[in-house]
Amino acid sequence: MANDSLPPNQRRFFLTIVLGGISAVLSVAAGWPVFRFLSPASGGGEVKPVEMPRAKIDVGGAQFFTYHGSPAVVLQKSAGEFVAFSAVCTHLGCIVKWIPDKEEFLCPCHAGRFSTDGAVLGGPPPKPLKSIPVVLAGDLLRIG
Amino acid sequence: MKKYSAALILPILLLLIPIIAPSFAAAAEETVCLQCHGGQTGHLGEPVPLWRESVHQANGISCHHCHGGDPTDFAMAMRPERGFIGVPADNDIPAFCGRCHVGVLEDYQASAHGRALGSGGPQCVTCHDNHRVLRASIDLINPQDCSRCHDYGRAEELRQAVSGTDALITGLENDLAELHRLGFDTKPMSGTVFSLRNDFHRLFHSVDVEKVRSKTAVFAQDLDKVEKEVAAIQSDLGKRKLWGGAMVVLLVLAGLYALLIHKSYQEETGED
Amino acid sequence: MSLFKGLMDYLDVRLGVRDLIRQNLTGYLVPRRANFFYTLGAVLLALFSLQFVTGLLLLIHYRPDAANAFASVQSIMNDVPYGWLVRYAHVVGSNIIVIALLLHMLSVLFMASYKKPRELTWLVGFIAFNLALALCLTGYLLPWSQLSYWATTVATDAAGAIPVVGEMTVRFLRGGAMVGEATLGRFFALHVMGLPLLLGAVIGLHLFLMRRAGISRPPFGPDYEPPAPLTTFRHEDHPDGIPFFPHYVTKDLAGVFFFLAALAWVIFFAPVLFIPPTALEPADPFVTPPHIKPEWYFLWAYQTLKIFPSKVVGLGAQGVFMTLLAVLPFLDIGPERRPAHRPLFVACYSLGILLMVALSIWGHYS
Ligand code: HEM
Ligand code: FES
Repeated sequence: MANDSLPPNQRRFFLTIVLGGISAVLSVAAGWPVFRFLSPASGGGEVKPVEMPRAKIDVGGAQFFTYHGSPAVVLQKSAGEFVAFSAVCTHLGCIVKWIPDKEEFLCPCHAGRFSTDGAVLGGPPPKPLKSIPVVLAGDLLRIG
Repeated sequence: MKKYSAALILPILLLLIPIIAPSFAAAAEETVCLQCHGGQTGHLGEPVPLWRESVHQANGISCHHCHGGDPTDFAMAMRPERGFIGVPADNDIPAFCGRCHVGVLEDYQASAHGRALGSGGPQCVTCHDNHRVLRASIDLINPQDCSRCHDYGRAEELRQAVSGTDALITGLENDLAELHRLGFDTKPMSGTVFSLRNDFHRLFHSVDVEKVRSKTAVFAQDLDKVEKEVAAIQSDLGKRKLWGGAMVVLLVLAGLYALLIHKSYQEETGED
Repeated sequence: MSLFKGLMDYLDVRLGVRDLIRQNLTGYLVPRRANFFYTLGAVLLALFSLQFVTGLLLLIHYRPDAANAFASVQSIMNDVPYGWLVRYAHVVGSNIIVIALLLHMLSVLFMASYKKPRELTWLVGFIAFNLALALCLTGYLLPWSQLSYWATTVATDAAGAIPVVGEMTVRFLRGGAMVGEATLGRFFALHVMGLPLLLGAVIGLHLFLMRRAGISRPPFGPDYEPPAPLTTFRHEDHPDGIPFFPHYVTKDLAGVFFFLAALAWVIFFAPVLFIPPTALEPADPFVTPPHIKPEWYFLWAYQTLKIFPSKVVGLGAQGVFMTLLAVLPFLDIGPERRPAHRPLFVACYSLGILLMVALSIWGHYS
């Protein structure tokens, strides 16, 4: 017990450092589970396509759905020609609307406009809508 | 002071009301069948204590579930118009039990045992007992019982053929029960094992050693999937204990260090 | 360091922090011979804080309706990362809190610290104790298991023994004739909002009263003399005492660490100690499971109700007992605090503990 020969205040200095170290380890050990508990669930890594019967979309019509947790839209431009986009406006993140009469997307927040190809037609959006691949397999659309 | 304490009593009494745990009435419902027969002596009273030990009782299957009748009405309890069937003849027993155990009935009927029904072949209760129906176990295949009708050799072969799979199933069931007790959601796994167990029991009611052997591999494969899942959870539990043990040790150490620091102050101020 | 000093200067000018620290930490002297039981108050504060945090986390995933409650708890235990840890910490924590509360109360009783001028500290503490038990009772229902359902049925049913208004009280507690969705709703509201707020306020008052009167000197040792009865307010000083910070705090800290170690031990090595098998089955209002028992700290009350011939008398006995305990400082008014000089009290104290333990064991095995 070499410690006993040290004066109390020196011994205390050493003890306090050890206690601080242990407390730090304990805090991390307690904090990690809380961090994991609060972390958003991971989607399992691989990206799964969304399937949808083609009958759900009229020619010239649009259908909104959820793609990897955020809104997306699929459009039948002309009979048999399908395109899909993320419906999140590239300006500040509002959800775009499909305007059938004008055949374009309109963002209701600051009047950003997008073409049926997702390109910006006007307003503040800096980038085109993010496009999502669509495959037509029989009567089933596979999106993503 | 007196006045104040009186004023204090009432709110505190009120506070207590919700925390008081009261007497729990024993509410196990007894049917009229059990009430009468339970008190009878001789062979009319015999089934009740036997049934109380049975797997049927444990799963809430009571007299009327097999024998029919009205379990709520003393006067009408044993009237045919209330569905009372009474006691089946020996040869009717497979059909009697088979109303619930449909799968096993099928395989039994196709088996050597079933085909010999009426000509000395065994029916359900020959092996499983009647009212004290125990959870089926491989121990039902034993020299004493089988050699009542034929020599044990073939039976032993069957027992050998099923014992591996049977042990696997029993082991898994125990593991799953343990995990369930610890709060794991074992329902899907228990469901799989239960259904495999059923299929397997069906299978060996065919008493066809070749058939059992040929299907054992399929069962082993399905059981293996569950086993892997169980093993993963168990290894997870081991890890939890390891980390938990480290936490406990660190906490105790932290407490001891805090005490040592306290002692260093005590020495400084000359405290006793 | 100069940064620290700068910050302190800044705060000092505005809040007088140096004065606050001197008065409440470094210059606040507590009794030299405060024993280990004096750390229980700090332990309780730490445990309640932990309970608050784990409760908050559980709230993220818990669904307070009869259709989803059980499944949501199941999913916390199985699907949410470390959900099992959070839930076990909350469940085991509640039991450890009750243990700490009982020890705190018993030590205060033994040292007669409830006596003048600390009667109100005791009374407010006793209310906190009852609120803590009410939190346990309401929390018990939330997982909506067979145990939750039937323990709550039986516990609320007891109120039916109260003459005249019994029936009405039961319906009121349950929000209907039977335990159901309505009961879950009100218990949930009480458990996560009503009772914690109330308890928080009550604990605050308790601490204020404790601090105002000063920590009592332990009534032990050759030089202890009962102080002369107070006639005017006076904070109990300990000129020969030790500074609360950093000297005394290290001991409090040790107490907290030891209790946390016990908590962790149960969580990792005996997690189902306080979770009977019926807690693992979803509630079924049509099937009463056999052997439903209340939690261990209610067993004495449960057994009392069983041994009295009528429920009213049993309830009355419990009421009288708890009320006597609550108003003890107003009945036991002599200045003497040394156990050796209070043989009658110590005899009642020991017999009382024995009786409670015996009743609980009896209740457990009956
Ligand atoms: C609800 C949780 C409670 C908390 C957080 C709490 C906290 C505290 C704290 C921090 C102290 C000062 C340190 C100590 O002596 O331990 C204290 C003292 C005290 N407590 Fe509590 N307490 C609680 C419940 C109770 C209960 C249930 C009672 C009794 C019915 C009680 C009666 C007292 C008394 C009389 C003192 C003064 C002790 C003295 O000055 O020597 N407390 N409490
Ligand atoms: S968010 Fe769409 S235009 Fe601003």
